[in-house]
Amino acid sequence: MSRPERVLRAGLAAVSAFAIFYLLPGTLRLPVLVYHPAARTLAFTNVVGGVAMRYFGDLLVASAAALLAAAAAVLLRPARRTPLAIAAGTTLSLVGLDLLFYLSRLLAAR
Amino acid sequence: MSVVFEGAARTLLILHAVLGFAAVFAASHHAAHAVLAALGKPQLRALQRFGWIAPAAVIAQALCGLALYPVYRVRVRAADLERNAPFVVQLFDFKEHLAALALALVIAAALAGRNSAEAPAQVRWPVAALSSTGAAFLWAAAIIGLYVTARHPV
Repeated sequence: MSRPERVLRAGLAAVSAFAIFYLLPGTLRLPVLVYHPAARTLAFTNVVGGVAMRYFGDLLVASAAALLAAAAAVLLRPARRTPLAIAAGTTLSLVGLDLLFYLSRLLAAR
Repeated sequence: MSVVFEGAARTLLILHAVLGFAAVFAASHHAAHAVLAALGKPQLRALQRFGWIAPAAVIAQALCGLALYPVYRVRVRAADLERNAPFVVQLFDFKEHLAALALALVIAAALAGRNSAEAPAQVRWPVAALSSTGAAFLWAAAIIGLYVTARHPV
């Protein structure tokens, strides 16, 4: 596998993992780091009330998943590789799924 | 009650806007050069140049936005928008999700694009797709951000 293809596969794996792990913790209400800006405290919880913010925690989980997926794509080299067009299509579909989910929440709020 | 970075909120907001537009334009340039490269036109230097400018601008504006977020949450969202404009609250949340996805897309496209100019078309097209999607998300996030700021700046 050439270097450009290896880097691209790592990037596609990273974006896919980011899209999955950005969406899941919030929708499944999994505990993440939650910051309370008024009290200036951090807590690992799934209870988010008032002005508490779970965005930082969700972003942290997604970024960590993306880095791990990119590292795994570089280190693990399966004998049978998915064609790049299919891998890219899958990645963009996952991103599209996130977009549709958040768009549906926005439109439901109208 | 004081919120972190509250004293510097307006400076941070201006910086966030400037860096946001730098990110939008750098990502758009990267996307345009990635598409040209996919079409077979030599774009090695441009993809290498915007391959560091675009992610640097996106990361810098994201850090600025994250620093500003607590002030928005308390002084804008809780104090005004949740009562008077709940749809704008949802719009802002949508913008944050777009920006997060754009962050991943632009960084991945930039890293992959740095090596893709001389690569076969099967590598160049996915880079162009990642980069164009990231740039489109950034444009949408920037326009929504401007609208929310026009409604109620920090």
